[in-house]
Order: sequence, then C-alpha cells, then structure tokens
Amino acid sequence: MPYDFLEVALLTDVGNVRQYNEDSIIADPGLGILALADGMGGHRAGEVASRMATETLVAGLRAAAERFRANGHQHAPLLAITESINRANRAIFEAGRLDSRYRGMGTTMAAAVFHDNRVALAHVGDSRIYRVRDGKLALLTRDDSLLRDQVELGVISAAEASQSHNRSLVTRALGIEDRVAAHLADEAAVPGDVYLLCSDGLNDCVEDADIELIVSALAANLPLAATHLVQAAKDNGGYDNVSVILAKVKASFPVSGAGWLTRFRAWLARVLGP
Amino acid sequence: MAKLVLSSGGAVVDQCFLDDGRVTIGRGAGNRIVVDDPSVADMFAVISVVGHDYILELVDARQSVAVNGTPTKRRILQHNDVVELGAFHLRYVDTKASSEIDLERTMIISGLALDPDRPIVPDAGDATQDLHIPSNRETKTRFPSGRVRWVRGPRYGETKLLDRVVATFGTPGKAVAVVTRRPKGYYVTYVEGDAFPRVNGDSIGREPRHLHTGDVISVADEDLEFELMT
Repeated sequence: MPYDFLEVALLTDVGNVRQYNEDSIIADPGLGILALADGMGGHRAGEVASRMATETLVAGLRAAAERFRANGHQHAPLLAITESINRANRAIFEAGRLDSRYRGMGTTMAAAVFHDNRVALAHVGDSRIYRVRDGKLALLTRDDSLLRDQVELGVISAAEASQSHNRSLVTRALGIEDRVAAHLADEAAVPGDVYLLCSDGLNDCVEDADIELIVSALAANLPLAATHLVQAAKDNGGYDNVSVILAKVKASFPVSGAGWLTRFRAWLARVLGP
Repeated sequence: MAKLVLSSGGAVVDQCFLDDGRVTIGRGAGNRIVVDDPSVADMFAVISVVGHDYILELVDARQSVAVNGTPTKRRILQHNDVVELGAFHLRYVDTKASSEIDLERTMIISGLALDPDRPIVPDAGDATQDLHIPSNRETKTRFPSGRVRWVRGPRYGETKLLDRVVATFGTPGKAVAVVTRRPKGYYVTYVEGDAFPRVNGDSIGREPRHLHTGDVISVADEDLEFELMT
C-alpha cells in the first residue's frame, strides 16, 4: 500500500455542558487505522474505558499490520479487529471487576482498517461510521441503542424519536460482560471516498443532511471539515462530548505485489522467458 | 423517577409512581388509575415503559385524548404533560427533568430484540441502513439569515440565500472559500487554493472572518456582497 493513500483529520471536544471529555480518538494514517470510543461510567471511569479501548485496539491492529509487512502472511483485518476488540473488552471488564473506582465502566467503539482497496469496519454501541461518496452520505453502521430498537420494532415512529428520552441508552458496549460481539463489515473503498467516525455527540446535534453538506463541501480541506462538524454540534447545543475522525482516500491502495499489473507482468515474464 | 398526578378542580385525587410496570387508566375499578368520569371508557388508556420513555396509548385507536390541548392517540410523555380526562387532569411529572444533563449520560441497557436473535457472527456485508432517525431534540438555537449577491464574475447579479450551515464559493481545485452560518452571524473562511480569499480587499489568511452587511468577499474571479437580513 502506498504510505500516503489516506488523509486523516481528527478532533475531539468536551462540548458545551460536560465537565470531562470521555471520548477517545486515535488514527494511524500510514497503516490505515482509525479508532474512536465514547466511554461511560462514574467518576471519570468513562475516560479510562474509552482510552483503554482505542489504545488496545490500535496496538493490536498495528502489531497485525507489522506482522503482515514482515512476513507477507495473508492480512485478515476483520480477524485482527475482532481479536483486538476482544482483548480491549476483557481488559476493561477486568479493570472494572478488580478496581471499585472503575466498576461498571464501559465504552462504545467504532473502528476502520483500510486494506487492499477495501475498508474493514467494526462498531459496538452508538458510535457511528458514515461514508460520503459522490456527495452522498451513507450510514454504514446500525446503532446498538434502545431508540433504534424502538423505531425498528415499531414501538414508536421515526418522527416520534425526537421526543424519546432513550437517545443515550446503548444496548451493547465494551467492558460490560466478559465477551462482546462487535458488528463487522467490509466494504470497497475508492479514491474520493471520505469516511467519518463519530461519537453520538455529533449525530445527536447535527442532522445527516448537514453532515453530508459539510463533509462534501469541505472535503478539499479535511481539518476544516472536522472543525466545522464539531462547531455545528456545539452551535446546536453541544450537550455531549463530540468527536470526529475524517479519512479521505486519496489514491487506490492495492496490497503491494498483488495488483493486477504486477501479476500480469509476472505472468508475462514467465511466458516470455528470460 | 416519574409519577402521575390525577387532579380534579385543583385538588389531587390520586397519584402513582411509574416504575417498570404498565399503568392502566379508565373508569373501571380494575384500573391502576381510576377516573370516575362518564366521558372516560372503562379501559381507556395504557402507559407502558420502554427504557426512559413512558408511552401513553389509547386502548381504542378510534378515540383521541387531549394532551396539553392537542388531540392525541399516542405520545411519549414529556415532563409536565397534562392529559385531559373529562373533569379530571392527569399530569406527568418527570422528577429527573430538572437535571436534564444527568439524564443524557450514556448508560447500558438490554435491547428490545432478544439477545439469542442478534447476530454474533459478522453482519451481512452491506451494512448500509435506510432507516433514518432524525437527530435530536428540537434545537433551541436561533440562526440568523443572510444572503450574498454576485457583484463580479460569471454569475453577476445573481443572489444566493445563506440558509444552510455552509455554502462554498469559488472554483474547486483552484480557490474556494466557505461561508458558515453560526448563531452569532456569518463567517467566511479559506478552504483551498493558492491565494487566500479577500474581504473588502484584505486577505483573510486562514482564520474565519466575521461578515457584516456590505462586506465584499473576493474568491477566484468572483466578488460577492454580503447582506445580513435579520
């Protein structure tokens, strides 16, 4: 993969109301790794949980990527994500079990790993992953939230959702039980795509249409797009911490040696002989 | 903690704390809240609880009931809602409503779908969802309204209403500026290009510049005159 195929801008803000920022964000653009977590738990334990989640996840994914680079094993990003999320989950769960200050802490998680012209996606809880392609916003994740369940099962209508008090009730999180199942997906990624990972502090305050407009209008200046997203959330209330990671695919990123041209040349060399 | 207070002529007749159970309302003696009024059916309404939501629903879907004066068949109850039941008023009081910030704290809860039914293995590849849940509560923020008029360039004489959070001007890839609508007014900021946008002839650099009526923004080969309307 070319080293600079991905441009990344990331920003986190405490918001207008909260005292602490319990979100955590990390990106490694060179390795195509993005991770975001939104922690929960009393006495700042949410900060601990979200940081453990992103740090453990990124460490695991970096190790997997470096193993791959060193010996050319088949890189399986979804497997690496699953293993790293499980490790993070156990670490947070154990910390909560052993230290009373951390009892009951947990965190949501959204992660993306770019690899071989594809992007592997994972999430737990109500942190989201969007994609903007050709100016159109698509939500690539399904919230683990009671509100989402209510709407999906027809308990309330989508229009009534803005009246609900269940917006911040998540149905799945890291660190709550000894194991967790992350939602996984794997999608084609093409040059020009912009991926957005965000905590619910963004999408609770900014309508999808405005997220779409900001990201597509400002894709040429990714840091400016990130500040505009966070600013829009704060201008609309900023009740929660708000975090965004934006990643723009600048060029195609086939695994080195595995591109069709390379394979074709190798075949040609065999056929034509030395 | 939430509760219902039934009153008649200003006097409290009954009250009931809402916890995890259902609350039935009607004229019949078997209801949790008995409303002794001829206009109220024996089994009139049910309040069920989902997470932090108390949802009022009428037993007979053909009927409606006035909540805060508005005919309603179903409603997620909001703090201080008043349901009119003949000569009686039923008020919903959410004692947490005064500390709204705490309510907003993220918490973990069981989903409505049973866990065994939920996929443990990777979800199907196409994760894109159509279901759109609108963002949030209605925002209390007021945004100004403004517009720009082209005074130089190919769009000379045209106007554009600045009714969205951002509007970009200029030529993509060459020189672009963004005008951002914020609660305290409009700002113009450099997006891309070799030259910074100018306001009234002065380069603005990389920092946002607050706009005033009559300001002229220059970007690429366009000049735009800004007007704050409210």
